[in-house]
Amino acid sequence: MIAGAWLCLLAPLAGFLLITLLGTRISRVAAAWISTGSVVTAFGGAVWSFAELWADGGERTHLSTAWTWLQAGNFKPGLEVLVDPLSTMMMLVVSGVGALIVLYSVGYMHGDDEERRYFAYMALFVFSMLLLVQGGNLLLLIVGWGLVGLSSYLLIGFWHERPTAVAAAKKAFIMNAFGDATMVLAFFVLIAHSGSLAFGTSFDTATTLSPTAVNLVALGLLGGAAAKSAQIPLHTWLPDAMEGPTPVSALIHAATMVTAGVYLIARTHPIFEQARTVELVAAGAGALTLLVAGFVALVQVDIKRVIAYSTMSQIGYMFLGAGVGAYANGMFHLMTHAFFKALLFLGAGVAIHALGGEQDIRKMRGVGALMPWTKWAFLVGSLALVGIPPFSGFFSKDSIIAAAMTIGWYGWFLWAAALVGAFLTGLYTFRLYFVVFRGEPSPFVREHHHAHHGKEGPWTMMVPVVVLAVLAVIGGWLQFAPIWTPLTSWLEPVARTLPVAEPTSWQEGISSALAVGLGVAGIVVAWLVYGTGRIAVPRVAALQRLFEHKFYFDELYDAIFYKPAVATSLVSHRELEEPVLLAAGPDIGETAFDTGRGVRRLQTGLLRTYVFFLGTGMAVLAIVFLLTK
Amino acid sequence: MLVAASAGNVLVWIVWIGAAFACLASAVGVVTFGNPFYSALALIGNLGSLAVLYLLVSAEFVAAAQVMVYAGAVMVMFLFVIAYIGPRQETPWAGGPSWPTLGAVLAAAAIFLEIIVVVALKAGGKLSHSEHVNATFGSPGWVGRLFLTDHLLAFEITSIVLLVAAVGGVILGAHAHRLEASAAKPPTPGRRPAPSAPRREQPTEEASA
Amino acid sequence: MLGPGVAWYLGVAAFLFGIGALGVLLRRNVLIVLLSLEIMLNGANLALIGFSRHAHNGAGQIFALAVMAVAAAEVCVGLGLVVAIHRRNLDLDVDKLSELRG
Repeated sequence: MIAGAWLCLLAPLAGFLLITLLGTRISRVAAAWISTGSVVTAFGGAVWSFAELWADGGERTHLSTAWTWLQAGNFKPGLEVLVDPLSTMMMLVVSGVGALIVLYSVGYMHGDDEERRYFAYMALFVFSMLLLVQGGNLLLLIVGWGLVGLSSYLLIGFWHERPTAVAAAKKAFIMNAFGDATMVLAFFVLIAHSGSLAFGTSFDTATTLSPTAVNLVALGLLGGAAAKSAQIPLHTWLPDAMEGPTPVSALIHAATMVTAGVYLIARTHPIFEQARTVELVAAGAGALTLLVAGFVALVQVDIKRVIAYSTMSQIGYMFLGAGVGAYANGMFHLMTHAFFKALLFLGAGVAIHALGGEQDIRKMRGVGALMPWTKWAFLVGSLALVGIPPFSGFFSKDSIIAAAMTIGWYGWFLWAAALVGAFLTGLYTFRLYFVVFRGEPSPFVREHHHAHHGKEGPWTMMVPVVVLAVLAVIGGWLQFAPIWTPLTSWLEPVARTLPVAEPTSWQEGISSALAVGLGVAGIVVAWLVYGTGRIAVPRVAALQRLFEHKFYFDELYDAIFYKPAVATSLVSHRELEEPVLLAAGPDIGETAFDTGRGVRRLQTGLLRTYVFFLGTGMAVLAIVFLLTK
Repeated sequence: MLVAASAGNVLVWIVWIGAAFACLASAVGVVTFGNPFYSALALIGNLGSLAVLYLLVSAEFVAAAQVMVYAGAVMVMFLFVIAYIGPRQETPWAGGPSWPTLGAVLAAAAIFLEIIVVVALKAGGKLSHSEHVNATFGSPGWVGRLFLTDHLLAFEITSIVLLVAAVGGVILGAHAHRLEASAAKPPTPGRRPAPSAPRREQPTEEASA
Repeated sequence: MLGPGVAWYLGVAAFLFGIGALGVLLRRNVLIVLLSLEIMLNGANLALIGFSRHAHNGAGQIFALAVMAVAAAEVCVGLGLVVAIHRRNLDLDVDKLSELRG
């Protein structure tokens, strides 16, 4: 299994290096297939590793060290790869969904001028994400963390001639950098106390830290997780990140990178359990995010942005689950979400591709009539997202909602928020479905829709969609809490659910019923408003403005961070740079000139003055001599 | 400081006072005359009286050299140039004393007073006695021997200085026409300009300095 | 020694030097300036000769002769300058000949 893990990690890296070094010597299609092949190999390695770990049965944690990477006093992190239940689960999800999406990209990005660069970046991203989840110590985790941030920046700004894309890439990177900084500070505290960033040592150290210290560490980790997973308050970058190509949005901003925060909490849960308050804050942030994102998604008109807010909302659910202590539930929802969210993005991508790049849902009306496969796939994904049984979302989301009930009075708030979120999910998801895929095709669609050789899309795009649709259906059948819980048992050695977060069967049942009921209610309302138009779209002007401005977070950050920084720089330019620094050079020159001009006046050219000075100087010297002798 | 008055002594004193007075008066005349010719003549008088003073301290060779070289050659040169320049009468003291004048007078007075102070106060004791000198003191042979033995370097360097001055004088006095001609004609490329050696064909030149 | 002591000679020399300095500072005619310069040099010479006699040291007279030679050289060059200036029809005024200035 160690070999499988190394293969899984290094295959995408090899793909990236190969594409980069071969450059234009290989054709664009070749670069695309190299990238796809490397990720498929990674998936093979992940399966191999998983199978062996499963068969092993005994030890559940295998750490394989390549060599000692750094050495600074007592601090000796190694280049370590960890194979344990949590990491193999993530390896499978990342490489599996990644392989499907990279295959999809072969068709989607076909004909782009810079295809090679795209596929190199995709391979780099898969490598980075695998490094993150396979890293055997916190140092490698943050290396992977930073690299996925880099890959995200590179891929969001892939079409770099578009200023909006470049701005979005910068925004994403800067917000992630803030999270990175808080995480690194947390690591500094850990190193200061224990001199090591290995998982076991760090977790043991967490028990010995003072409450302040451990809260700081947990807060730092939470900051990084919130930035990476686009939770409030570090969430504003995710909708803008939709500027990147659709497969990028699917892979990075739905299935894998944004879930890294959840993985972090699950991985470092011993630290969080020492700082229970911070963990509950994480759950609260998740609940808040899922509500806010749900509301904002109701008014978005760009198909990808609706799905992006949906992602934000679902990750809120995952944070909620991990925050209350139900780590396995959070991870389960991570897995199913990867399936159906990627499905939704890729399906949307097929429609966007067929309409020549149009993403406005008002113009895309009724495209489903011309693209049945896509329509059905999108329907499957939507039902899974809303959590209707027997689709996958039902199994994973409901167990999270149930877990929230059990942790006391705070949990009731979270539970209520989660249920409201379920209603909203149904509403916005099916608003999207009914507007885009049902009904008569709009004039725009009739004019611009072009089929791909008579089919909806190339096979490289349709096959992953179909595969993901199947997974979205059956993916949830892995666990049906509380009756059949193989996933929780699998993750138990690594991420044991807190006893306080284990609901009883009754609680599970009630939660599930309510969640499903509210989801169906949302669908019905969406049907009435958008599907048949029997009820007019409600327009409350103030709420509409609030949602359209995304609760004014962007404006708030602009006022708090951007404007003061710009003002400070302008003031310092005006007061400090120009008069002092820029003028210093010329001023020194001027002073030298003036001094010279003044001294020059002594050179009168008149003999008399020279002799006069001579004489005076001589007289003075004589006096000095007289006085000293 | 006054030695006992003997006949020889009194004579020396009288001569000394006369020579000193002539010296100082002629010096004042040099500075104050408006006509440069008169100033030059006053300077010749000054040099002559200085020669008398030199004789009184047994510096015979220097006195002779003073008359021959200084008064005889240098001052004649001066007179030649003054004659060449032509007559002119200035009024240097018109306009009354001005600030520069006052400053100059003060500076000169300061120098003079300092020297007096040094001589009178600081060096008072040491200047009172002087030794007897033997007969060879100040004689030409004595001076010549010193030039060629103890002070050979000064002798040689002085001769070089005179050479340099002579060359400088010639160059400075080169005829204006020759200089202007060689300056007006730009040197043609690839050909060195004609050498500036004095040309014998034109008789109307020779520096007059 | 017969006659006045060396102090008197020094007094005369000082006076000569002062008069010469005054002439250099006050007069504007180049020739008069040069003559005043000669007076100053002669003052120095007188002091040298006086000390030579007082200290029974020949160096003073040697020095005085060297000064005489240098004075001659200097007058030669100075008068050459005066002649050259005159040939260019410039005014022989020290205050006006001030182009070498800053």
